[in-house]
Amino acid sequence: MSGAGEVRLSDVDAAREWMRDNKSRAPVDKVMSEHEAVARFVHDGDYVSYDLSSMVRGPMSLEREIVRQRRKNLWLAAKFTLLDSTLLVAGGCVSKIDVGFAGLGRTLFSAIETGKVQVIDWSNGTLALRHLAGAMGVPFLPTRALLGTDTFKHSGAKVVEDPFTGKKVCLVPAIHPNVAIIHVNQCDMFGNARIFGPSISPVETAMASKSVIVSTEEIITTEEIKKNPGRTTLPYYLVSAVVVAPHGAHPGTVPGLYTYDSGHLDEFFSARDDATMKKYLDKYVYGVKSHDEYLALIGKEKLQSLRENEMIREGYSA
Amino acid sequence: MSGKPTERNYTEVEFMICLAARLIEDQRSVFVGYGMPQIAAILAQKLYAPRICQVYEYGAIGPEVATPFRRNMMADARNSYRSFAWTTMNTMIATASSGYIDYGILGAAQIDPFGNINSTMIGKDYTRPKLRFTGSGGGNEVASLCWKTILIMEHEKRRFLEKIDFVTSPGYLDGSEQARERAGLPRGTGPHRVITSIALFDFDAATRRMRLIATREDITPEFVVENMEFKPLVAPSIDRLKPPTPDELRILREEIDPERVVIGRV
Repeated sequence: MSGAGEVRLSDVDAAREWMRDNKSRAPVDKVMSEHEAVARFVHDGDYVSYDLSSMVRGPMSLEREIVRQRRKNLWLAAKFTLLDSTLLVAGGCVSKIDVGFAGLGRTLFSAIETGKVQVIDWSNGTLALRHLAGAMGVPFLPTRALLGTDTFKHSGAKVVEDPFTGKKVCLVPAIHPNVAIIHVNQCDMFGNARIFGPSISPVETAMASKSVIVSTEEIITTEEIKKNPGRTTLPYYLVSAVVVAPHGAHPGTVPGLYTYDSGHLDEFFSARDDATMKKYLDKYVYGVKSHDEYLALIGKEKLQSLRENEMIREGYSA
Repeated sequence: MSGKPTERNYTEVEFMICLAARLIEDQRSVFVGYGMPQIAAILAQKLYAPRICQVYEYGAIGPEVATPFRRNMMADARNSYRSFAWTTMNTMIATASSGYIDYGILGAAQIDPFGNINSTMIGKDYTRPKLRFTGSGGGNEVASLCWKTILIMEHEKRRFLEKIDFVTSPGYLDGSEQARERAGLPRGTGPHRVITSIALFDFDAATRRMRLIATREDITPEFVVENMEFKPLVAPSIDRLKPPTPDELRILREEIDPERVVIGRV
């Protein structure tokens, strides 16, 4: 039994060869601007995966840059997402979304209702599992979710008989995203990256992806990484580009560092039609050339107050 | 008593949250979804079940969620506060799949007599939905893999349908015997209770159909059934559900949600 949803299948051997040839094990300086990183690693038609969600440690500065560079026909893995998918859809960058959780806001939902954006329904868990399959270099993984539902029928999963027991089991195909964008707390110039706090699937996503752009709150030395290797989330060879982006998750939060910008989120989500959304994008995305200019627009005082209002620090350091 | 709702000093959301909080057993694990389920789990932990282990799909295990609740709070520092462990989504789903999660709590837009729920879309054409919602999120996993699922529904006729527009997450599927096991879902799982703004349902063991077991104090069983498009079974004796207690309301309004983001205002 097969779900009807379209799947971008990838061959595991082709993926292995890509990793061999393109994700170098040479420890080289990968620090670059968000402009360069997106120009080099995000292309029209790419399958894009991110981690976590825009409200929490989301790669917002990179998403704004993708909109600024007017990428088209992206296929998103929305495995846990709030405003990421909404922003990228509003920017006209998206043609398909593998839905775990289809974000929020009228802009996104009306794009789906009018058929401007095609959705393929999965679930958060099965999308995370598909990334794990990609990370493991296996073509699929079994799960006991999706079974018996319309979510299954519209996904690209299959139900087969378990060859060991004869019971039914659901199989989900591996994803090898063209590019993953992941915001982290700390990273060295090679791409050894630390995430503090819970997460969705940063390791699986980075391992499975053909290119990985990491944006980081701060750059630390490799010496620091080596003093506490248990805190390294991503080893450097998974990472293609390192972009320095303090407050990179704004208007979302990076737990332990800064809180949400509620006023800004209200402004974003109050954009219920194309004209107001265009005004928002003109001001905050197209109206600035870089993340630095964006931060200047938000203002030092505001950013400082967001840091001061994050009261909980426990657990969010090396 | 007319059986119609009377003046209340609490909102329907507060009622549903309190009812859910009272159903959560202490020292059990609870997979918590977005919104109302979060508030119910926090209230339960503060008042009735101090040692429940809340788990979240984003990887937090056993947090003592910091209050007050903030709008959109999910996966942030307050939600994850004082956890036992911070893990990842694949770990959390595996935890449910391997049998460690006792309860799941979910909300939905539509439900059918067998507890199948819709949180994906309204309409007949999948490619052009009349109304699109968020989709499964982690709901499909919760309803598939937790031992007992508690569903929370606003009690409106159009939400209780013989046939829902989209089965996002599984209940007892077509209601036939062992339908879940035959589909490949884990044995012994399924919807446990349905909480609505005026009533409480369980599922009849023989038919797996929703069965009315209790109503809010000011509501008659007839009124409950009239306001459902499908007709549920009705238990031989119907319990009365107590309205939110002063303690519950004080904690909800003063400690958990003073901005009334989820609980609303009377």
